[in-house]
Amino acid sequence: MIEFDHVTRTYGPKPAVTNLSLAIPRGELFALLGPNGAGKTTTIKILVGLLRPSRGAVRVCGFDLIQDPRSAHRHTGYVPDEPCLYDKLTGREFLWFIADMFGMARHIAEQRIAIEIEHFELSEFADDLAESYSLGMKQRLVFAAALLHNPDVLVLDEPMVGLDPRSVRIVKDLLKARTQEGMTVFMSTHTLAMAEEMADRVGIMVRGELRFLGTVAELREQMALETQSLEQLYLQLTSQRSPATLLPPHVAPSSQVPLGGA
Amino acid sequence: MSERAIPSDSGQLLSVEAESRLFLRLRATIAWETLRSMLSNARLRLALVTLLSGIFWCSLYGLFGEAFSFLDALHAEVISLLFNAFFSSLMIMLIFSTGILTYGGMYRCPESHLLLTLPARAEGIFSHKFHEAMWFSSWGFILLGSPMLVAYGVVRGSPWTYFLLLPFFMLSFVVIPATIGSICCMAMVAWLPRLRMHAFSAALTAACLGILWLGWTLLSSEQSQTLSGVWFEETLARLSITEQKLFPSWWLSSGLIESARRGPTEKESLASLFEALKFLALLISNGLLLQVIARWLARISYQLGYSQLVGEIPARCRRRPIGWFDRMLINAGSASGRPLRLLLVKDLRLFRRDISQWSQFVIFFGLLALYFLNLRSFNYSNAYASMIGFLNLAVVGLILSTFTTRFVFPMISLEGRRFWILGLLPVHRDQIVWSKFLFSFVGGLIPSCSLVLLSDFMLGIPPSLIIVHEVCCLMLCMGLSGIAVGLGAWMPNLKESSPLKISSGFGGTLSLVISSFYIMVIVIVAALPTHLFLASHALGPNAAGAKGFLVWAGSSQGMSASLAIVILIGMIATVLPLTVGLRAFRQLEP
Repeated sequence: MIEFDHVTRTYGPKPAVTNLSLAIPRGELFALLGPNGAGKTTTIKILVGLLRPSRGAVRVCGFDLIQDPRSAHRHTGYVPDEPCLYDKLTGREFLWFIADMFGMARHIAEQRIAIEIEHFELSEFADDLAESYSLGMKQRLVFAAALLHNPDVLVLDEPMVGLDPRSVRIVKDLLKARTQEGMTVFMSTHTLAMAEEMADRVGIMVRGELRFLGTVAELREQMALETQSLEQLYLQLTSQRSPATLLPPHVAPSSQVPLGGA
Repeated sequence: MSERAIPSDSGQLLSVEAESRLFLRLRATIAWETLRSMLSNARLRLALVTLLSGIFWCSLYGLFGEAFSFLDALHAEVISLLFNAFFSSLMIMLIFSTGILTYGGMYRCPESHLLLTLPARAEGIFSHKFHEAMWFSSWGFILLGSPMLVAYGVVRGSPWTYFLLLPFFMLSFVVIPATIGSICCMAMVAWLPRLRMHAFSAALTAACLGILWLGWTLLSSEQSQTLSGVWFEETLARLSITEQKLFPSWWLSSGLIESARRGPTEKESLASLFEALKFLALLISNGLLLQVIARWLARISYQLGYSQLVGEIPARCRRRPIGWFDRMLINAGSASGRPLRLLLVKDLRLFRRDISQWSQFVIFFGLLALYFLNLRSFNYSNAYASMIGFLNLAVVGLILSTFTTRFVFPMISLEGRRFWILGLLPVHRDQIVWSKFLFSFVGGLIPSCSLVLLSDFMLGIPPSLIIVHEVCCLMLCMGLSGIAVGLGAWMPNLKESSPLKISSGFGGTLSLVISSFYIMVIVIVAALPTHLFLASHALGPNAAGAKGFLVWAGSSQGMSASLAIVILIGMIATVLPLTVGLRAFRQLEP
């Protein structure tokens, strides 16, 4: 579903992502972790086509993001870290705009909008202008818009920011349900507990390089620190003094990770 | 959470037409909602804008009507030249303004971030943003150009077809420079990413220098014969460089002149109309060709350019934490006043680093200075010079009032958003308000008084009147600052982060209206004695009844009295809003 093929992105002389090769199969929830400035947002922006890689290629559902961005976008839903809405549109009008942009048939769009409004409990304010929404309301609406066309790939950049505990629960349940139906989720997060609870695999990025790729259990195993919490493992892995990489031999940073994961 | 079955349809890619219709619908919905919210929340502002626009349009219509009647009678052949000069300058301005607006809309707007992650065509997004940029850059042309061209048609007694074709001519012309501006913008962002600021600055400087050179040569030659026949002919000869047949401005002016012509016979009128239609077709076809090129360019370059901009490291200009001026300001004065000075220096730094603020300041005051520098060319008589001096004072005040409304009024509201910082500092709330007032007052006083001094010097106004003007200017700066800061503290909008939106709300509009009224009162009160004095001279020694009062009003006593009234009004305009604002700000709960 998602393939990063030796992707490098530099900002001037500074590398933001270095030689990233990663494949995420259908139905997997992948969490990208890392400290601030590690390259997570750059990776996400490359994945949704806002940034072009300096080298390498990215494919979504087999569509190259440089060669055929529209087809790739058709299969993608994106929830940015800062929700962007039209202030002078109501939530419902915004959902209609997204549905029309994805070329959804009228009767299907109508059903989907009703379902997502119900899922994210938007009905109370769906007909108010977005300028009156709180951050949490905006974030829920953006989630609804991203899932409206039932995408094959959902990309989430810090998705829980601004959501109240109830909304977080709704999103978590929804992501579990959708991944079981075959949706691939690529998520960047700072919330380790969420990654531990939700992710099939995690990737830990430090200074633009993927330092670890695998399940949380594999991380514990490889570091031979069974008793430590994920937080302690994460801090150890991302500390400045840690070795350059702790990737297992079969997922060396420059190698292509086969579909199916580590 | 519901477990309803999700219908399976991930949609299909839209056709070009469907995509255009969707963007059109989006724009229409947003425009309608904006109008609706203005009608319900900002009726005063909407009414004022409509009324003032109407007055402005009618005044321009009257002015242009008079000018065209004069030119039609004396120098009918110069119309073409004037049209060419006007439209070619406008063309250059539209290229730059649309280029800048396209840059903001396509590359720096959060909406683009959203649209680029949707399955929309790059050229579709370009067209959507282009229409927005074109409208914002050309509304001034419509407001200024439409009364001029309608007046021309009326004066010439043009056939109805002229008025029918007018909007088509204006629209088809505007598309050309606007598209050129957008093309330049996209090309610079995509292929000159590092040099775009330099390239833009170089082009802008060249255009400004060209305009300045033209203005200078027109006004500086043969000063003693200004507005004489010789001067007129020389001016026309210099303006003829704008009559280039390859310029869209020439096609527009030729088309309009042909369309306005009413021939002696039906056949000649039809021939003129046919000629006009040919020029219109030329404008439309070139506009369409440029649109095709722009859409093609958007297709190949938009995502590349956007990616380059998003990937740019923000310019890390090393700034000295405290410059010599800031340091001097902080350390000057008592320790108790230090918090106030620190706040003042903070505002000064924000102003210096916000290019949108000081660039507008420099442009407007710079243009005014340029005009004042050329005042001597007109050789005004004493009576005229006095009147022009007061009018210039009013103009300086009006420009200052737009700045105080646009930049000073929102300062308290913007500070309110950072209340958690200021609230924890050992600063009294009053000091925040006073720091804004001082910032506005001192910041406005220096350029305003200098400009008024320059104007008076170029007009050759006597020293006593210069003192009157300077005192008025001082009162204007003080009063306008008091109104903007006082009303800003009285009616803060703590939820809004955009200063533009804060200043265009009810409080900002009220501040602008009160400021305009205040300027009018100050200038009239100060100008009255001078004109009564001149009137007393005009009436002569026999007008005994009126003479006593007129002489007193025009004497030093009368002038002193008017000056005292000016100072009194200035104090009231400063103290009253500030008192109300301070009281409201002390009780504010963010």
